[in-house]
Amino acid sequence: MSTLTEPGAAPATAPAPRGTYGDTAVITATFVRLKLALMRNGLRQTTGRKAGFISSAVLGALFGALGMAGLLALGGSRHMAALGTVLVALIALFWAFVPVFLGAVDETLDPARLAMLPLRPRSLMTAQLVASVVGVGPIFTTLLVAGAALGTARGAGGYAVAVVAIVLTVLTCTVLSRAVATANAGLLTSRKGRDLAILSGVVIALGIQGVNLAVQKLADGRNAEPVHTMADVARWLPPATSVEAVRAVSAGAYGVAAAALAGTVAALGLLLWWWQRSLTRLMTSRDGSTVLAGDGGQESEKERTGSGGALWERLLPAGRSGVVAQRALRYAWRDPKAKMSWAMAIGMGLLFPVIWASTGSATVYHACWGAGLLGMQMYNQFGMDYSGFWLVAQTITSARDAYAELRGRMLAIALVGVPFTVTVVLVAAVVVGDWGQLPAALGISLALLGALLGCGALASVLFPYSVPQDNAMRNVGAGQVSLVWYGIVGGLVASALLCAPLIALTIWLHASAAGWAWVVLPLGAGYGAVVAWAGLRLAAGQTVERLPEILAAVSRS
Amino acid sequence: MTETGNQDRPAVRVTGLWKTFGEQVAVSGIDLDLPAGRFIGLVGPNGAGKTTTLSMITGLLRPDAGTVEIAGREVWQDPVDVKSRIGVLPEGLRLFERLTGRELLSYLGRLRGIPAAEVERRADQLLDVLDLLGAQNKLIVDYSTGMRKKIGLAAALLHNPEVLFLDEPFEGVDPVSAQNIRGVLERYTASGATVIFSSHVMELVESLCDWVAVMATGRIRAHGPLAEVRGEADSLQHAFLELVGAGAGAGPDDRLDWLGGDRDR
Repeated sequence: MSTLTEPGAAPATAPAPRGTYGDTAVITATFVRLKLALMRNGLRQTTGRKAGFISSAVLGALFGALGMAGLLALGGSRHMAALGTVLVALIALFWAFVPVFLGAVDETLDPARLAMLPLRPRSLMTAQLVASVVGVGPIFTTLLVAGAALGTARGAGGYAVAVVAIVLTVLTCTVLSRAVATANAGLLTSRKGRDLAILSGVVIALGIQGVNLAVQKLADGRNAEPVHTMADVARWLPPATSVEAVRAVSAGAYGVAAAALAGTVAALGLLLWWWQRSLTRLMTSRDGSTVLAGDGGQESEKERTGSGGALWERLLPAGRSGVVAQRALRYAWRDPKAKMSWAMAIGMGLLFPVIWASTGSATVYHACWGAGLLGMQMYNQFGMDYSGFWLVAQTITSARDAYAELRGRMLAIALVGVPFTVTVVLVAAVVVGDWGQLPAALGISLALLGALLGCGALASVLFPYSVPQDNAMRNVGAGQVSLVWYGIVGGLVASALLCAPLIALTIWLHASAAGWAWVVLPLGAGYGAVVAWAGLRLAAGQTVERLPEILAAVSRS
Repeated sequence: MTETGNQDRPAVRVTGLWKTFGEQVAVSGIDLDLPAGRFIGLVGPNGAGKTTTLSMITGLLRPDAGTVEIAGREVWQDPVDVKSRIGVLPEGLRLFERLTGRELLSYLGRLRGIPAAEVERRADQLLDVLDLLGAQNKLIVDYSTGMRKKIGLAAALLHNPEVLFLDEPFEGVDPVSAQNIRGVLERYTASGATVIFSSHVMELVESLCDWVAVMATGRIRAHGPLAEVRGEADSLQHAFLELVGAGAGAGPDDRLDWLGGDRDR
């Protein structure tokens, strides 16, 4: 380790030692102790966190061990090399992006916290690298990589190369993760970067559904061809090249193996160089957050100046409701939490019917989900304002103001929700090819949307809870989880009960007077509008009575 | 603005105001008359109950007991009239941070029922005077602390209130922005309006206010014109420390004896 210290720190020329700052081994040991201390202290917090940590450690070790056992068992299969290659490539991809999205999970790796310490890049890198290998994630990774490499290996040479491959792969993964995170540290500490990180939740959630669909298709076909296709590309990409080296050695192709190993080592070297360069730049230049806050703001300024003010005016009604709807729509686009909530509702609303269609059990009525998810946006309206709600509270002086306020928020949702619902039901009718059910399905969807909007308005007032804007990962204020359930479950049950007569009518019409099923459409649309209006009326009266209480509830952090 | 005839009536009359949070008494029975047309400072150490008191006076927090009258109207009985007569800049509460400074002003102006053209005219002037024109199209979430306070002040002044409540308006504000805010507030009080602001920076209160109320542990310890509260003491700071019963600080002893000593290690 001491070979990594800079030449300037040689004892002969150095003055009397001021502490042990220069010694890489000491710094590394300090970092590892720091990492262990942080993990231990994390355990001393709430029981929830403790349980979360212990279960993730146990599950990580368990699944890692199971994965390794599974891969070793597959050792004889002709698919093994391809599978191992693809698996290592996926693990590397995960290491590159997931820590970036999860933000500063590992405080020993946050360069901003270390900028004031007299540490040289090389000792810092060594220490951070060793510290980042400590943890549940790296153990899980090592187990899976070991399974992939040892499962692929044949003969003594194969196993020897496999051991080298395991070490190289785990190191490359951790360095890749560090390098990507350090290079993007400026973005990650800026407001825009944090906004992006929140939105990544949507990508992950929708991505999981996509993978789910792909796996189903794959399982149906009982066909390993796609794995081989992927492996043909991945085996030339480090660190998956290390598995390729193991395969090549086992097959006697020593030239290919040497090239693959050299490729992995070269990639590791390149990543180390990139990491060091980003780290040096990061710790010797001005803070990325200020750069972006100043310059990024200027950039987007142009978009906002004078953009379509007239269009808003024409689309939205005059008076308080229009102004409120305009703000709500701006927030749906600009506020990452609001945007995520909208994106989830719209994405899931579109995805659910597709998933059901792919499983072959679809009816047009499944499109009701779209309306349901959009209607849920009306819940906890004031909580989304967080403590900014005081501005609203200061301008609400009567039930009429409160009515206009809530109507504006409902209008913003309806402006998106009604066209969306109509589209989803139409698309579902096209996909399923059942035009006969279209009017009734649309009627019920619109009634459900109206019922959820009305109940949502009332729940927003009776069961408000805080959505802390300063914490990206928390969507409920401290101690308010039960309120969320009261509001949402109560609202859902009430909405379902409100729609029950209409559903009963639809069933009856289908059973006895099929020709009359179309009446559900006008009835449902009208019924939805009436329920939404009634909800607004009831909620407005409550709002004006409960302003300070709502403010207290939604300001919790 | 307040007519001269109203000068005798207090701008704010607080009677028997109480607030407890669980076991902890935050405000214990305040009676206070704040004169109209003055620049009033509400001073006290952290945790004295200043923010709680101001929140109850401005209708943001429901008191356990007591009444608050602003310009003769009861805050909790007649909110319609009171809310249009007061402007508030609270501490620790957010604005709509994903709006730009200009959008926030137009939004609030319209919520208060001011015609759009008039809102734009007022917003233009406020942004100009508070030196925010350059940042008017930036999202508030990207504003600095000083800019936030300034846009908050603009929002509080937009509807031309009679009484302005400011909770720690100079906290974390750079000197240039502070001077800016000061200039606007001085112009505003010169027109006969009342400003009530809380702070724990005594020098600031001494240089700005002509009337002060001293608060500690949920009670008013002294109130009246500045000279009266200061009394014999050579500064408001000293008078304040005496009133709240804080010692002069620890004398020299052998703790921290290494500080400033040998620096070889």
